[in-house]
Amino acid sequence: MVETGPRKEVPTVNIRSVSCPNCGASVMIRSFGQAVNVVCGSCHAILDALDPNVQILQKFSAAMKFQPLSPLGSRGKLRGTLYEAVGFQRRQIDVDGEKYSWGEYVLFNPYKGFRYLTEYDGHWNDVAPLRTLPNTTIVTGPVTYLGQTYKHFQTAQASTIFVIGEFPWQVRVGEKVTVSDYVAPPRVLSSETASDKEVTWSLGEYLNGSDLWKAFSLPGHPPAPVGVYENQPSPLSGTAKAIWKTFWLLLLGAVVLYFANAGISKNKTVFTRAYVFDTNDPVGEHSFVTDTFEFTGTRAAPVKIESYANVDNDWIYLNYALVNEDTGQTYDFGREVSYYYDSEGSEGSRRDSAIIPSVPPGHYFLRIEPESDRKPGRISYTVTVTHDYPVGYWFWIAVALLFAPALLTTWRSMSFEHLRWQESDHAR
Amino acid sequence: MIRKLYLIYGLGVLGFLGYAQYAGWSLSQVSQMKVVPKSIRDNPGSYRSVYGYYHHYTGGK
Repeated sequence: MVETGPRKEVPTVNIRSVSCPNCGASVMIRSFGQAVNVVCGSCHAILDALDPNVQILQKFSAAMKFQPLSPLGSRGKLRGTLYEAVGFQRRQIDVDGEKYSWGEYVLFNPYKGFRYLTEYDGHWNDVAPLRTLPNTTIVTGPVTYLGQTYKHFQTAQASTIFVIGEFPWQVRVGEKVTVSDYVAPPRVLSSETASDKEVTWSLGEYLNGSDLWKAFSLPGHPPAPVGVYENQPSPLSGTAKAIWKTFWLLLLGAVVLYFANAGISKNKTVFTRAYVFDTNDPVGEHSFVTDTFEFTGTRAAPVKIESYANVDNDWIYLNYALVNEDTGQTYDFGREVSYYYDSEGSEGSRRDSAIIPSVPPGHYFLRIEPESDRKPGRISYTVTVTHDYPVGYWFWIAVALLFAPALLTTWRSMSFEHLRWQESDHAR
Repeated sequence: MIRKLYLIYGLGVLGFLGYAQYAGWSLSQVSQMKVVPKSIRDNPGSYRSVYGYYHHYTGGK
């Protein structure tokens, strides 16, 4: 079969080796024809890669040498394309007297051109220059690009402090640009304004160091990321929102269960009686039993015993025994009713209630034995028994148990964002 | 993943809520005794509550 269509033009890969006119060392130009400057790896002289005679553009003695984490010449696939690291520069900003520096790697593919990697404290970004301009009005305002809004993070003057390898622009040590970053994790939009007011925009996307190490087959492990980076995606991004959505659904379930329980509960008062306890009664035994009352139904249900005592700056203690007349099973408990008050306020209550769990149906009576100080005299009190009482506090306990993890997730998410923005021009 | 775990946890909480309500669980401190003599009805003083002889705190107001 003969191919009749137009032949696809394949760019040729030109690799050229030149001698450094400064020190004589051999300098390999991997992106020959596209690199503008190349830096001698031996003496760090910046050479003109476009000049056939490879003129020296800048000489500088690298007082501080930086070793690229990904060595020049290493190759790896990013987004399915094989790139080679051809250049590296170190840039620095000064914020309130504190110097921060990061590394920028120039990657080259003869078919796709240049791409960049940036690294700061173990945080990596895959960066590509923009072909269309984003929509922005003020420097510190948000920027819109392809329908996504990016918030301003930081603007600072960055200077190049170290270069090595090849660059598709006129690179110089000491070169200053104004850098503005706008973030929408995991992306970052960056603008670089040169001294001649030329603005270059680029779009970066956060990369995991381990993914990069794997892609470039680099030995060892990538440096561990320090802190939270400006466009680092939050591990809880979207999670807090999803958890709250689940919380509301579960809360609805809890409300349904609460009302269902309230609906099936009889909540029936089966006994109520008023009594008087005379603390000065010389009779030694104050205990007595009530008439019999019945708990109907087929299931064990909670029983509420409510005590109301007419106490004034005093107390009464009621020893209760709820006795099943048929089986002899007894529920023994004691409740204090105390109420104190003065001009500054009050303490306690004249009313108290206790809930006895899971009481089977049957015939019951109460044994009551009141206690108090000798001085108060006559204390009147009322005892009320309610069968199959719907216990409401389990609902509130369930709400608290559902609420706590949702709150914790939101707090963790907010802490992450707080750490992110603490490093910005808009620290809160 | 976290949402899934939270959903499982939340359904567990709802199960707990439903069962606690249905079974009539309570946080009140109640002691259960299996067999109390029927003579308690005729002679209430023969029974002594485990919570009896209460010591009321009188240090406050």
